[in-house]
Amino acid sequence: MRTTPCKEKEGRGRSELILELYSNLLLELWEIVSALIGESILAFLFNLAIRKLEGKYPFLESLKVTEEGLFMDGLKEESQSLAPIEIHRGFQSLMNHLSQLFSTLADGVINKELFPKIFPKVKEAERIISQK
Amino acid sequence: MRLIFKNLNVLRSTLNAISTSMEIKGIVESAGNNLPNLFDFSSFGVFWKEDLLLFLYQEESCPPSFTQEVLKNMVNVFSTLGEISLRVDQIKLQVEKKRLRPKQMVMDPRAGLKSHITLPLTVEGEILGCISLNSDQPNAFDAQDLQFFSVIGYQMAATLKHFQRFSSIQNIAIYDTLTGLYNRRYFEERLGIETQKAFYGGTPLSLVMVDIDHFKRVNDTFGHAGGDQVLCQTSSLLKGSIRKKDTVARYGGEEFILILPEANLDATFVIAERIRRLVENTPFEIGGTKIQLTISMGISNFPTHQARSKEELVKMADEALYEAKRGGRNKVCIFGEKLFREVKP
Repeated sequence: MRTTPCKEKEGRGRSELILELYSNLLLELWEIVSALIGESILAFLFNLAIRKLEGKYPFLESLKVTEEGLFMDGLKEESQSLAPIEIHRGFQSLMNHLSQLFSTLADGVINKELFPKIFPKVKEAERIISQK
Repeated sequence: MRLIFKNLNVLRSTLNAISTSMEIKGIVESAGNNLPNLFDFSSFGVFWKEDLLLFLYQEESCPPSFTQEVLKNMVNVFSTLGEISLRVDQIKLQVEKKRLRPKQMVMDPRAGLKSHITLPLTVEGEILGCISLNSDQPNAFDAQDLQFFSVIGYQMAATLKHFQRFSSIQNIAIYDTLTGLYNRRYFEERLGIETQKAFYGGTPLSLVMVDIDHFKRVNDTFGHAGGDQVLCQTSSLLKGSIRKKDTVARYGGEEFILILPEANLDATFVIAERIRRLVENTPFEIGGTKIQLTISMGISNFPTHQARSKEELVKMADEALYEAKRGGRNKVCIFGEKLFREVKP
């Protein structure tokens, strides 16, 4: 009886950790890419990617993106009840989709700037998820 | 550092040229003329969603196969960004070739698209089109190119949006929203210009006032939606019956007015009579029901009727229309002529 709440707490802790990790990652991505293509285009691409994925990962809908930046308050609330793996997959899909869009627009120019900075953090998220 | 300053200056003048352009083609040309000072490219493209128009500004020696590749790539990118499926054959292509490279560096006739930067033209989350820099060289563009190009794209999008807003305001100001004909406000303005030309240039000018006979019955029988359909169909008939230099406007309700510059009285009568017969012989369709309608018309002419102002010319056409109504409708009446002219079949 006592083990379940503990596991839940542990899971929630990991969820928060993953969420925080990806939140920082997205903010970093925003900073790097907006300097290259501008806030207006980047917000457009973010919203395009979110629209594409929100069917599969509804929690992404609460990530609000405008020219002013990323707003994640809703996202934090929404993802409280989600399993870490679900959050990880949702964000990973978002990153992949954005990366595909960047590549469609500018071959490797954006991803070349982006990958060295974000790749280690995605790996870190995967490590946290795989921890037993 | 000096190079960056030079580039910033070029960028500044490019942005200035774009923002002071008066039409889409002007924007493309301004950008195209300035871009070679900033980037090494083979082709620069601007796709404008509203008209499905792609302007390509490219190196003189660009082979057609390269143009096709650029076209295909821009269509693919826009389809992804705009979440629509566009086909290459839907696009209207306008190509302008310029020497962008020294003579000794002409493009290989088999050159293919090796690298590109394509950015959406977005304003307030709406996508208006996209712009693209293309090259036959691999890895032709770097992060700084992308930064500069995105600033140019931002300015272009803002200017294009401004055009779009301006043209929709202009449309509201001069067109009748139901029929698509010019509205009365535009008619007054146009008539002012045409009467000036006629009065001072001594050229003839005719006005034809048109009214749909028994229009109230149409509204009573088929409702206002049916009435609207009749107005639209009548408008199409009128629009299709006039010359390029003529103006047809909705004057109000079921009344229309035609300005026929350089048309003497006889020519005007022939045109009016042809329109009257056309309407008489055209079945009007309202929700699956076909009905027959007629129109009455009144003509005034300068210099025949010696009008001294545009207002007087309108009044004369209106009085002639009244005569046509009084004479039994489905008639063309000329101001001042009590007897209707004989119409030869």
